[in-house]
Amino acid sequence: MKDFLRRVFDTEFLPMSEVRKIKVVLVMAFLLIITALTIPFSLFFDYSTGITILILAIFLVVYGLMFVLIQLNKILPAIQLSILYSIGLTLFYTQGTSAFYAYLFFYIALTIVIFYQELYSYLSYGTIITVLGVLYIISHQGGLVLAQDTPGSMYIYILIWVLFYFVFLVQILYNEKLYTDMNYDWVKLNHVIDRYQEDIYIYLDELRKKNKNPLMYEDLDFQKTVDELIVFIGEQTKESGKEITNIFDLYLYIHEKGLDRILENEEVSVSMKKTANRLNKYLLNQRTDMFSMIVNFFSKFRETEKYKPNRYDYSLKKLAAKGDEQVIALAMIYHYLACEVTGKDEWDQMKRIMTEEEIYKLFTGIDSEEFLTPTQIAFFKENYDLFVKYLGNKQ
Amino acid sequence: MFSEIEDYREALEIKHLRTKNLFVITLMSLIMVITLVYMLVTSFPLLQTISLLVGYLLVIIFNFAGLAYGWGNYRFYQLNKYITTLYIYVLAICTVFIFKSPSTITALFIAYAISAYYQDLKVILISNLFLLFSVVMFMINFPEYMNMQNASLEDQLGISIFFFAFVGILTISSYIIVKQKQFFYNQIALSKETEFRNIDLLIDMQKEVHQEDVNVEKYYENISAFLDEFSKKLEIENAFTDKMQLLLALEKGEQKNVLQDRYPEYSREDLDDFEELLIGAKRKLRKISIKMSHTFDIDVKRREMFSETHFKSFNHQADGLEIKIIAFVVFYTALKRGLDGFAKLDEQTIREALTSTDYFYYIDPRVMRIYQKNSEVFDTISDDILRKKVT
Repeated sequence: MKDFLRRVFDTEFLPMSEVRKIKVVLVMAFLLIITALTIPFSLFFDYSTGITILILAIFLVVYGLMFVLIQLNKILPAIQLSILYSIGLTLFYTQGTSAFYAYLFFYIALTIVIFYQELYSYLSYGTIITVLGVLYIISHQGGLVLAQDTPGSMYIYILIWVLFYFVFLVQILYNEKLYTDMNYDWVKLNHVIDRYQEDIYIYLDELRKKNKNPLMYEDLDFQKTVDELIVFIGEQTKESGKEITNIFDLYLYIHEKGLDRILENEEVSVSMKKTANRLNKYLLNQRTDMFSMIVNFFSKFRETEKYKPNRYDYSLKKLAAKGDEQVIALAMIYHYLACEVTGKDEWDQMKRIMTEEEIYKLFTGIDSEEFLTPTQIAFFKENYDLFVKYLGNKQ
Repeated sequence: MFSEIEDYREALEIKHLRTKNLFVITLMSLIMVITLVYMLVTSFPLLQTISLLVGYLLVIIFNFAGLAYGWGNYRFYQLNKYITTLYIYVLAICTVFIFKSPSTITALFIAYAISAYYQDLKVILISNLFLLFSVVMFMINFPEYMNMQNASLEDQLGISIFFFAFVGILTISSYIIVKQKQFFYNQIALSKETEFRNIDLLIDMQKEVHQEDVNVEKYYENISAFLDEFSKKLEIENAFTDKMQLLLALEKGEQKNVLQDRYPEYSREDLDDFEELLIGAKRKLRKISIKMSHTFDIDVKRREMFSETHFKSFNHQADGLEIKIIAFVVFYTALKRGLDGFAKLDEQTIREALTSTDYFYYIDPRVMRIYQKNSEVFDTISDDILRKKVT
């Protein structure tokens, strides 16, 4: 419980799938309270006792099903079911009584759909709830509109209800666009970081060779430490120590043979291939998630330049205000790209220097938008011959 | 994980605040028009119609002013969101009093919905307090506006309970939505800092492995020749010479006060700005060049969007517990063993970073709980075996 609450309070650090799981658990908790409240309220509904018991039994069964789905980690079906459950509860209330609180139930059901922030769910379930709400207002106006009410108050009920739907529709659309844009930037940046780390991997390996150290996964002390620690955790979690050790052996084996050869091997079972596939992102002999996380962890403790507001600005325009300074900066960058090593070559050696054609493509292509302005690109094109002659690689 | 990202995260928030402000203005204007048309059609007293119109106009004008001043100082955007949140509740309450009908009580929900646009925890707090205050106030003092006056006990209970239930689910919903948005800001900011540090690392590694650095003298020689030729091409005098000499002096680490005496036409701020135009060591232009070369030809595929493969962690849902345990232990042991090129870290440093930074969330809670309870055991086991290792 404590862990769950900590995760709720720190949702910003969790990936989408984890957040979805938290959301559905919270909705389930909410629905449990509402269902418990429904039992005493159902005594006042217009249904017969038999029907009431039957409907409540169905709710309990569906609730149980949602619980099972969450246990099985089937989050998306659980989300759909929780929305249908809340619509079912709304209908149960609104068909059983014409009281004002039944009307409030439409807002509750719609808020549950809003909570999930899924555009298609909102457009489908949200619209259904809205239409049902409008029909309810029209058919139950006797219970909602007072004798001495404002003229046309039924229309106010409808208007506010539809406006509520509309306001959140716009919000969800905006969020969808915002999240998609941000996600694109993030994914692109991650690709760039992966490239840096591919180069860092090669350099670190060079340093390891220079220091005459063994590869980490071949280091017997490293293997022994991991072995003992996984057995220790295995004992605590009551997992089979032998099973974990076997998977660790497979993990080391992938380093030796490579994933492709294991997947191609017909003698290896399907479940082992699946495990091997999942372990692949944690290998130590290439740029993997594991390598990235280790490097990022160590980087945290390296000294870095003091923070300045332009720390993450890579645009020439922002760095150099004046035209002559921008020309100098552009020339420096061209010269650097034309003469310095900027990546690994086809033999995985850090010796690759960009060609003139590649630099031209880089400076004039869509990738340059983040760094150069159209004016700077035009200047580059106009004086390309000078760039090549004076700043190109003369070797 | 990195203390440097706080400001950038805030900058990302502010970047989108202006658009959110515009949305709120549009919605307020739409609601104003609908309300006024309704009041005119149903012949409401002119004084009430005009007072509500003035109320709406005030908040809209205030928002426009905030937007205008926000260009110069982003705090106006923030001021806008707090003032507008307060004000829309006042308008909603006024609407209920003017219309004197239970049909308008849900205008409070519209006020909540509009304030939810800002996706800000403080705004949500204000909004919740106002919503609760309004609901309680109407329940106690004006039950007729909530259809509670002549209602049966069960109806009164139902209205009270479901109003609070609604406020409850709305609060949880807004809270998680705000946090979800922060996830993206957090990840982008984190990636920016990771990139910054990775470029630094790449520069250091390059120097260490190749035993050489950028030949600054050669750069200035070639670029001066380029600028000379460029000036000739334009048939003008080479106006770059002074600046190039000054930049070279900065590259060589000459003191700024000495340079200020030599080049009195440049202020101290100018000299600080010029530092951004250097290419040696870990200077900005070198970083731009490295970033440019690594950005070349990157193709983001549609299926990668929102894919969790980009979220690096040891807690992927598809992985079984055994894999999560192995991933964490390999990671921990690698940290304890150390990596060529990095300073070794002690257990306390590792423990603190694992339990009090983002890394805490990258590890399965069950595994993390075991580590937290038994970190000394982890330390002893790993030290016993790895102690003799020197990296």
